[in-house]
Amino acid sequence: MARSESEVAQEVECIRRVQQGEGEAFGRLVERHQQRVFSIVFHLVRRRDEVEDLAQEIFFKAFRAIRSYNFQSSFATWVSRIAVNHCYDYLRKVRSSRLSYYSEMTEESARELERKAESPSAQGLDHGEKVALREFVGKLLERAPEDDRLILTLKELEDYSVEEIADLLKLKTSTVKVRLHRARKRMVEDLERWRQEGK
Amino acid sequence: MDCKTIRDLVSELWGGELPAEAREHLSKCAGCEAFWRDARLVQTGFRALAEEAAPEASLGFASRLVRRLHEWEGKGARSEFFETVGRRFVYATLALTLALLLSMALPTTGPVRGVAGADFLGLQSQNQVSQPDVIGGDLGDSRGLLPGGPSD
Repeated sequence: MARSESEVAQEVECIRRVQQGEGEAFGRLVERHQQRVFSIVFHLVRRRDEVEDLAQEIFFKAFRAIRSYNFQSSFATWVSRIAVNHCYDYLRKVRSSRLSYYSEMTEESARELERKAESPSAQGLDHGEKVALREFVGKLLERAPEDDRLILTLKELEDYSVEEIADLLKLKTSTVKVRLHRARKRMVEDLERWRQEGK
Repeated sequence: MDCKTIRDLVSELWGGELPAEAREHLSKCAGCEAFWRDARLVQTGFRALAEEAAPEASLGFASRLVRRLHEWEGKGARSEFFETVGRRFVYATLALTLALLLSMALPTTGPVRGVAGADFLGLQSQNQVSQPDVIGGDLGDSRGLLPGGPSD
């Protein structure tokens, strides 16, 4: 979302005040960026009940590090980077158990879901099917290595461009493209493996 | 096109139109066709996941956070400072103790310490000069004359 020049100037002023020790001004920065952080945390961690606690830890880290913020990237990118790194560390700590979700679906309902999911959008699915598909791909994402999960979430769920991801993760654009391509391939291959485990 | 190329292409184009050659391969290869179908399933799943709204921050999230930051600045930062300083003090004490123990364990005179050590080294070099060379000396020269020696 593009912001006006005055909004940007206000934010810069706010950051400078926090850097000079005015903690109250940090509240306004939190209000401005909290939804972005909540979205990143939710899509990466996928635990609704832990989103707020993690977001709080992220803003806490941002507050402690704000003196090192040098305005080279936007504040939104800087905070998002902290959020992504924090979630990455969290995911490494609480590696989710590899549940065999696919086996919990009947063969018939899985086939039906696949048939409907072949349409280019999720429009052909009713609410229940959409929920099932979300759960299904969500679990598949949980099985993925942290690096794949990170890059896929930023691209497919948070809708960041390759250039934005490169900026966020401090990588080259070409590296992001290669990692994204490999992560997608691994995920589809894992789906096949998962099916075999379920049989 | 081989199967690997097709799968790479499917992952790269990710929902985009496949070239005619790739489509032809899919119509003949059941494995790649299954891969392509799975990719479509995952893409649709991602779209469904992306539609799911993240939870919103509870009322007063920012102000509660700022209050906690103030509390942390008040005591947390101070205790963190003392914790860091305290930790450094403990490490420094341990290092000093270790150095002291090592200095006590080492001999006060000897080849590596002080004037006495230098004297010892001087004495040793003198001894080396006065002692006959066991290999190059008389014994060494006579070895070849002894029965069972190298000349046998």
